[in-house]
Parts: sequence; C-alpha cells; structure tokens
Amino acid sequence: MEELLKINNLDVKFDTDEGRITAVENISLSVKQGEVLGIVGESGSGKSVTAKAIMQLNPGNTIYNDDAEIIIDGENVIKFTSKEDLMKIRGGKVSMIFQEPMASFAPAIKIGDQMVEQLLLHKNIKKDEAKTISLDMLTRVGITDTEKRFNQYAFELSGGMRQRAMIAMALSTMPKLLLADEPTTALDVTIQAQVLKLMKDIIKEYKMGVIFITHDLGVIAQTADQIAVMYLGCVVEKGPVNEILKNPKHPYTKGLIAALPDVNNLEAPLKPIPGNIPSPLERPTGCVFRTRCPHPTKEGKEGKIDMKLVEVEPGHWVDQCGAKCG
Amino acid sequence: MINFIQFTLTRFFLAIITLLIVCFIVFSLMELVPGTCAERYLAFKNTQGSQITYEDIEAEKVRLGLDKPFLYRYGKWVTDIAFKGEFGNSCILRMNINELLSGRFSLSLIISITALLLSYLIAIPVGIISATTKYKVVDESLKFISYLGIALPNFLVALCIMLFMTYFYGDTMTGLFSEEFENVPWSADRVKDFLSRAWLPIFVLGWNATAFALQTVRALMLDENDKLYVMAARARGISGMSLLWRYPAKHSLGPVINSIGFDLNRIFSALPIVALILILTEAGALLIEALARSNDQQLAGAIIFLLTATIVFVNFITDLILAIMDPRVRKGVMGGS
Repeated sequence: MEELLKINNLDVKFDTDEGRITAVENISLSVKQGEVLGIVGESGSGKSVTAKAIMQLNPGNTIYNDDAEIIIDGENVIKFTSKEDLMKIRGGKVSMIFQEPMASFAPAIKIGDQMVEQLLLHKNIKKDEAKTISLDMLTRVGITDTEKRFNQYAFELSGGMRQRAMIAMALSTMPKLLLADEPTTALDVTIQAQVLKLMKDIIKEYKMGVIFITHDLGVIAQTADQIAVMYLGCVVEKGPVNEILKNPKHPYTKGLIAALPDVNNLEAPLKPIPGNIPSPLERPTGCVFRTRCPHPTKEGKEGKIDMKLVEVEPGHWVDQCGAKCG
Repeated sequence: MINFIQFTLTRFFLAIITLLIVCFIVFSLMELVPGTCAERYLAFKNTQGSQITYEDIEAEKVRLGLDKPFLYRYGKWVTDIAFKGEFGNSCILRMNINELLSGRFSLSLIISITALLLSYLIAIPVGIISATTKYKVVDESLKFISYLGIALPNFLVALCIMLFMTYFYGDTMTGLFSEEFENVPWSADRVKDFLSRAWLPIFVLGWNATAFALQTVRALMLDENDKLYVMAARARGISGMSLLWRYPAKHSLGPVINSIGFDLNRIFSALPIVALILILTEAGALLIEALARSNDQQLAGAIIFLLTATIVFVNFITDLILAIMDPRVRKGVMGGS
C-alpha cells in the first residue's frame, strides 16, 4: 500500500546552554495507509521529539541535519517554513493527540469553539457546517448529550470524556496520519481499554495511518501492526509486531518484554532493565545501549561498533551490535 | 447567565461587607489616637494664645457629640456617609470635609486612574511582545527601561523633569493649573491647562506602574506559552496573532486583571510624595498633612475611607471582568456545572 509518511536519516539536536544535545539520531521509519506503527521506549528515548518533528513543533533551538527527510505526500516537511505549508500538516494532513487531555484543551475556550476554529481553518466551510461536523464527530467517539458538551469547557468533563473529545477534534479534519502521543497513559485502566477500542475502530473505519507512541508494550501488542523500539534517540529494533514480540533480537527489546509482569505467576519478581538511561549530555559513542547491556561483546563494550540496522528476518531489523550480543 | 447574576450578587454583597469592616477599622483607628477632637482643637487654640479651661474642653466635647458612646458615634459616622454622603467637620481646620475635599479627591483619582489605565494599556501588549519576540534586543531593552522604572524613585524622576523643564522652558511645571486657571470654574481652556500640567505626575506615576505591570505580564506570558494546550493549538494549525491572543495571552491575563485594585492603591500611595514635590493640590497631600502634621483624624479617616471604597469598587469590577473572561472563575465559585 501507499506510504503516507517516510522518515529518512532524521537527526534532531537541540542547542542548549550546556551544549548541543542529540535527541534523535539517524532514524528511518515509514507508515503506510491503514497501518499502525507503535513506537516504544523509555522517557527520553526520543519518541515525542520524533512525533513533534513530523509536525515541526519542536522549539526554536532545534537543529535538523541537512539530509534528513520527513516526507508526507511527496513533500519534505522539514523544508516547510511558510504559515500555509505548515498549516497543511498541522491539523490538516496530520493530527496529534496528546497524553494529557486536560492540558491539551485551552481551559477558557469552549470545546466546541476549539473544534470549530480548527475546522474553519482547514476546510472551506461555514460555521454551522463546522458545528454539525463537530457534533457528529463527538457522537462518533461515544459522547452523549453532544450539544451540551459542545458548549462546555474541558474542566467540566471527566478524564475519559476529555480524551474522547480530543480524539474527536483530532479526527474532525479527516487527517491522513494520526500521531497519538501516549494517548491512554493518563487514564485509568478501564477507561484506557475503552479509549483503545475506540481508537482501533476509528483507525479501521477511516483507514488512516497512525503512529502510536507509548512505553507500554501491552498497549502496542493490542493496537500496532509495526513496532519500532527506541533507545536514547536511536531505533534499535523494528519490524512487524508479532515477529518482534515473539522473536526479539536486541537485548533492550528483550529487557522490555521481560520487564512485563507475568499474569500467570504474580509472585514472580519484576525484572527491570539494570542501570539508568544515560543523560543526553553523556551519550555513549558506538552502540548507545552498551552501558546497560547485560552481556555485551568485547568490541561492543568498548564502543567500537557503530549503530546500524541489519535485516535478520524479512522486515525485521536490528541494530548490528545488539544482534551480536543479544 | 443565572450563574453570572448569582456571581455578581455574591461579589456585590461581599464588597459591601468588606466596606463595612473597613469603615469599622478606620473609625477605630481614628478613635485609638490619644486625645479627642475637642482636646486637640483647644490645645491648638492654646498655642495661639487663648486661655483654655477644663470646662471649655467639656463643653466642646458635648458640642461635638464626643460624650456619646463609641458604637453610637460609629453608627452615626457610617450612616452619615452612607445616606447623606457627609463626612462631618475637620477637627483642626473647622471646615466641612466635603467642601475641603471637593475636587481634590476626584483630581487624585483622575491622576491615579489615568496613570493606572495608561500603564495597563502599555504594559499588556508590550509585555506580550517582550515575552514572545524572537529578537533578544527588543526584549532586553524593554526589560532595561522597565527596570529603570522600578529602580528610580518617583520623586527623583519628578525632580529631574522639573529641572529639565525649568532649564529649557522656564516653567517649573508645578501645580495642577497655571495661575490664571487656579481658581476659576471648569471650562474647555481649564481642562486644556490641566492636561498640559497633569501629564507630569501621570507620567512619573505611570512609568513606575507600567514597569511593574510589564514584568508581571511578561512572566505570566512566558509561563503560559510553555503550556501543552498552546502546543496542541499549534498542532491544529493555529498560528500567528490568532494563536497568541486567543490562547496564551487570554489565559495569562487573569492575574494581571486581579492586581488592578492593588496597583491603584500603590499608585495612590505614591501620589502624595510626587504631589509634595510638584505642589499639587490633591487629596493625597492633604492626607499626609492630616496624618503627619495636624493630626486631623476626621479628615484622614474620610480620605482613607474614600480610597478604600474606590479600591473595593475597582476590585468588584475586576472580579466581574475576570468572571466574564474565565469560565473557571465563574463556574468554580458557583460549584461547577
């Protein structure tokens, strides 16, 4: 199927007072229409920065490398500078759902007004049409009494309802690509399950491409088709979700899977990945995972192997250092 | 709408209560100062050479109604103000306070409120620009100017301008009117004359107030701009001025509006010193005179009461503006939906 999004050789660096920080290094990813790409990783692994790069939402001190490409509909969005171009991706072809549904609605503007504002910006329609679309969308995500909700503020809604409204707003402009940045993390487990089901249904219905960012492998297993595991700004392993979860090659992926609680044996102690994620200012050279690798090879430990993905099975890519020691 | 009316009534009721409490405190303070009005007046007369006896004091006390109990006199003071708008007589000057204050208090208010409004009109847009500009130079120079406004004492600025005006224009710019307009009724020319002089105290007080407000707006804007909902709005394609005003600016102005009453008080408190230097005939100078020099409790009480009443009123208005702007205030106070 057609590729909606192609990221090639993307580096993202931030200029700060402490020096230049590498947040994302040389990643390449793609999302096809109707496909869900799950990006997994700890905090600080560069998941959100990648998503923000797609919408060009990173702050002013961000530096992209010259040969980086983020291609949407044949256009490299990194080269976008004009307001009109940026609008095409922001809320047009791409929508984003954030982790905190409370914090992502402006508190003193009615939910309906925020939805209508976005629609008027992107579609050539009248205000009452925009309202009809918004109300339909709210109904579609399972909100009842939509006319009332339309005129309410975010603080008057419950957490799950807010996230539904957020999804409704993100989908109302019919984007081709949806970026969901930990959309269920802030919700309690029962609501999380409902919202996940809703998202899966909607993804199927609208056949959009989705990037689902989370640190929760369980959520990925339920929703994603493809998975990319990120560590310290690098993709260390990627491929079809079943293949990766059943046959992980990289020690970091293995660690993540082993760290999941075992439902059949709740007495078993949890197995965390040893060590801490290094500060971005002290990024290891060579293999980024070498400081936490449980049984590294000699060259790997000395940082002599560069990061490079190799294909171990059709479609299953692993970092070459991780493939050797894993 | 029902919410809003309820909110307004509650606030109005609270404002009245505040005012009553203030009245009581002001009156009690007047009472706490040793010596009564009668004693003070007769002591004053004594210094002028008259022989005063104990009987004279008693007679004066009865004449002024000072032999009545405290609460009775308090009640009379409050009801006179509330229903007749009468503040009674000044203790030392033996003049009706209403007459004494007529014009002066409103002049003080006009100067203070103009300085306040100007400072907000400048500080809000400039503070927003200062916080969001890409050009560091703009932000830094605005910061410098506003720090000057905070650091330089008002009286020094006033003196410098006076010196400058005297040197270059041969006019000290003191007073609120030039000689020919000092004691004539209001007319278009008198207004013009007033404005040609009043800009000086307004500028001196306004600079300082603007500097404060500017720093507040700037800090609030920086804070608000980093919030997730602003990023979420940008992610929906909203940009430029419609993003700036509708999102971070609108949401950061609450505390600024909240501080209007406080700022008015600060300006009014700074006014007497400026008035002293510029020889302005306004109420602030009279307050200092009454408090520090002649110990005229009746007069001081009247001015303090008027000032507090103004601030309570301004706070009531800002509460309403805040409720209109921010649904969290409006609905939060009334207990949700």
